[in-house]
Amino acid sequence: MVRTAVIVVGLACIAACGRDHGTARVRPPPNKDGSPALRGGGAAKSPRIANYKIDARLDASTHQITATETLTWTNSGGSAVDKLPFHLYLNAFKNESTAFMQSARGMVRDAKITPGSWGWIHVDSVKLAGTELVGKLAASGPDETVAELTLPTALDPGASIKLDFSFTAQLPEVIARTGYKGEFHLVGQWFPKIGVRVGAPGAERWECQPLYATTEFFADFGTYDVSITVPTTYVVAATGVLVDATEAPGGTRTLTYHAEDVHDFVWMADPYMEMISGQAKLEDGTVEVRVYARPEQKEFARRHLDAAIGAVMHFSAWFVRYPWPIISIVDPPMDAPGAGGMEYPTLVTTAGDTVFARPGMRLPEYVTVHEVGHNWFQGMLASNEAVEAWLDEGVNEWADGKVMDELYGARTSGVDWMGWQAQLASLRRAYAEDPSSVPTPIATAAYAFVDYNGYGEATYATTARALSTLEQTVGPTKFAAAMKSYAQTWAFKHPTGRDLFESLSAALGEDLTWFFGPVWQSVGGLKLGLRTATCRLAHPARGVFGEGSTRKLVTDNEAPETGGYLCEVVITSTGTIHVPVDLELKFADGATQRLHWDDKGHGAWQRFEIERSTPLVEVWIDPDGKIALDSPVSHHYRIEGDGSASLRASAWIASLAQTLMQIVGP
Amino acid sequence: MRIGLGELFGAGARGVSRYSGTLLAVFVAQSLLAAAIILPISMALAQAFSHLPMFDEAVDGDLVALMWCLRHGRSVWFAIGGIVFGAVVVWQLASWFLAGGLYGVFAQRPETRGDTARCFGASGAATYLAYVRLGLCSLPGWVLVLFVFGNGMNFVGTRIETALTVTELIGPIALALVPPFLLLHVLWTVADYARCELTLRHDTHEPSAVATYARSLVYVLKRPITLIHSGFGWMLFLLVTAAYAYLAQGHPMYGAGGAMTLFAVRQGVCLLRMAIHVGVMAGQIELGRARPLPSRRVDVKAEPRS
Repeated sequence: MVRTAVIVVGLACIAACGRDHGTARVRPPPNKDGSPALRGGGAAKSPRIANYKIDARLDASTHQITATETLTWTNSGGSAVDKLPFHLYLNAFKNESTAFMQSARGMVRDAKITPGSWGWIHVDSVKLAGTELVGKLAASGPDETVAELTLPTALDPGASIKLDFSFTAQLPEVIARTGYKGEFHLVGQWFPKIGVRVGAPGAERWECQPLYATTEFFADFGTYDVSITVPTTYVVAATGVLVDATEAPGGTRTLTYHAEDVHDFVWMADPYMEMISGQAKLEDGTVEVRVYARPEQKEFARRHLDAAIGAVMHFSAWFVRYPWPIISIVDPPMDAPGAGGMEYPTLVTTAGDTVFARPGMRLPEYVTVHEVGHNWFQGMLASNEAVEAWLDEGVNEWADGKVMDELYGARTSGVDWMGWQAQLASLRRAYAEDPSSVPTPIATAAYAFVDYNGYGEATYATTARALSTLEQTVGPTKFAAAMKSYAQTWAFKHPTGRDLFESLSAALGEDLTWFFGPVWQSVGGLKLGLRTATCRLAHPARGVFGEGSTRKLVTDNEAPETGGYLCEVVITSTGTIHVPVDLELKFADGATQRLHWDDKGHGAWQRFEIERSTPLVEVWIDPDGKIALDSPVSHHYRIEGDGSASLRASAWIASLAQTLMQIVGP
Repeated sequence: MRIGLGELFGAGARGVSRYSGTLLAVFVAQSLLAAAIILPISMALAQAFSHLPMFDEAVDGDLVALMWCLRHGRSVWFAIGGIVFGAVVVWQLASWFLAGGLYGVFAQRPETRGDTARCFGASGAATYLAYVRLGLCSLPGWVLVLFVFGNGMNFVGTRIETALTVTELIGPIALALVPPFLLLHVLWTVADYARCELTLRHDTHEPSAVATYARSLVYVLKRPITLIHSGFGWMLFLLVTAAYAYLAQGHPMYGAGGAMTLFAVRQGVCLLRMAIHVGVMAGQIELGRARPLPSRRVDVKAEPRS
């Protein structure tokens, strides 16, 4: 017995030990991609304001990058520029006093900040035409994530400037969208990146926000030519296409990537990852979809690949065709969850790999669809994530639900496992916080939300629910056309929320201020309810009628009950959001009657009076489930209670209690 | 003479078949308590959900409807949790009497129905307070189980979170669960044998609960058959439960009639599980009877029955 116990415990210990990948092997030089940076090699899709040429070398043991960067920036505005602000995002992880660390309170997206593994970026040199300007570069704002460079002379409208940087970047242990874990490196937000000039021509201002735990990124489109030198044992995935791979001294290799019409550049390096790929077929060609994952995650890699192919095809069909030839999905190692679920142009990281995500439980697929979707909502429609996070996260979330329904079935897009089925959007809606309880409206800058949960609920869930409600209210076909029009109009530009609203209103041919205003600007949510639902036997009017000689008394006998019922239903809408609502009444004879309340905020209640031959048995507010902004639990109401389901549930609970009793006693 | 597993199982089967009336009586008491909580639970649920058809969908297995209903009636669910907890506590209190009665019956083997009833009542009453004291002395052991469980989970938590396959999950889970469950099983068996001793020696020795517990601990550790025997009982218990869950899957029973049918089927399962429990108790008495007598700490109170 003792021997058996020792064997069992030994096996358990072995099974509980970590995964061993062995010694990293030298990888053969990767093949050049051989395709232009834009599919078909078409003309520029964006104004290409900020263009970068970077030469970087990774020291895999210290997780440090030394690099040179040449930025060519064009003043496309109507006013001269005398200062250039730069994002130095990695300084967000420099110490506990940064805006990021202060707002993160020790944890970001369920990943703890590892004390002591600080990340930073130091600009060693900035030269303009050979003149050193690093002394003119000074931190601006609450921390060192933004630095301003004062130019010797102002840059006139239409003029370009070429700056040569050299910098050192220390990656943190992976925490939020960037960093290392063991030998895995996700190198994001790692180079000095110029801010964006926004505003009316002649009155532009810089938009260059510090990095907070809830904010993401905003940058101008351009071209990137990036050379990365890494050990030959490493597999690299990066934004753009691989145009050159050359062996370098010291067991290293230099890989050169070229990307066009993107606003960021990210790369991943890891000695153990394997790549699988597939093709997404579009109307005008194909996109190569690549998934990078470690061998132990290969089953999930296949799921991510299928989801990504489907996502590229549907997003392309519904919004704008994917313009680049490749999209890479990196499935981070299991011990680097902080790297998961992040979007960059043509390269995203996914997440959701766990034994509990059995086939049919679609968390991994959903994360992939969401991140791939960001190549449209932010990658192409490059909104300002720091200020209007909902414009990419929420709009993308709404689209994700539709893509998931299309890929996995409307009833099974969230769960289809062991007889349990659920639609993704419904599941997320049931799980999400009540929108009316979030004290900050959707249209709040990402860094100004009450807390992380409030940011998440308003930015992702409530926005998606609002768009779904509008879609169902105006009609899915019309709405799909309107969203496609918005996407095609604003691709490779910087749309704002106002642009989306105006675009939708124009395409739908309706002033939607009544909807957008309360939903985006106010708190309080949408609260539909049934106030009364009663029926009484109908009869002609009784009492005294007329005056003088014509006065007549109509008695009960003279005005008997007709046998029909006069029913009264009062619906309330007591939140700050009002939307037109359908109503379905069901009567004892099985007949139903549809009613409509065109509620656009003119009142908080509506009374309906109906005469029928049988009494009312059920009232169903929003029977088609168009309104996603309110809890549906009390939308469907039965006049006479039915306790049979309660009895069944209680019998089940009692048997559970009896099982517990049998454990504690005989 | 050493008693083997076969004899223990045989004693269990004999005990259950010979005292099936006693078994049924205890089962009826348990079923009544379980049935009694149906009423308040049903009323609480009806109060919150009888007007909402979504609850019907939730009970019929609609996952999203279930999530909405769990959110909607949070206070009701807490109240139901309280009712269930109360019922389990009441049963725990009653079980000290009922287990004493059952052990007494198996120890004294009364012949007639009347004698069995008298023996059951007398034994249950006589050992009740001793069982309560035994329950109190067992408490540190249960705390230790929780401690081992918590530490085990803490130790392998990250591995469970990062497991990718069922095989990868089994190792950490086994590592986390086997020690506390083994400890729980040992302590449970110790408590059972301590109860046996308190029942068997009550008339002659009036042993202290602490000393009995300590002696039983030594006895159980020296005689692995005690652990194997009761381990078989628990495995059978789990097997019956799993078999029921497997067979019941995909057989929804709708409406009030369905509720009653479900309750009846589940009562059958409960009766079978109780028979397993009671059979184990009968075997434990058989083995306990063969244990050497402890030294007398007090004078003989009465002559043992012939």
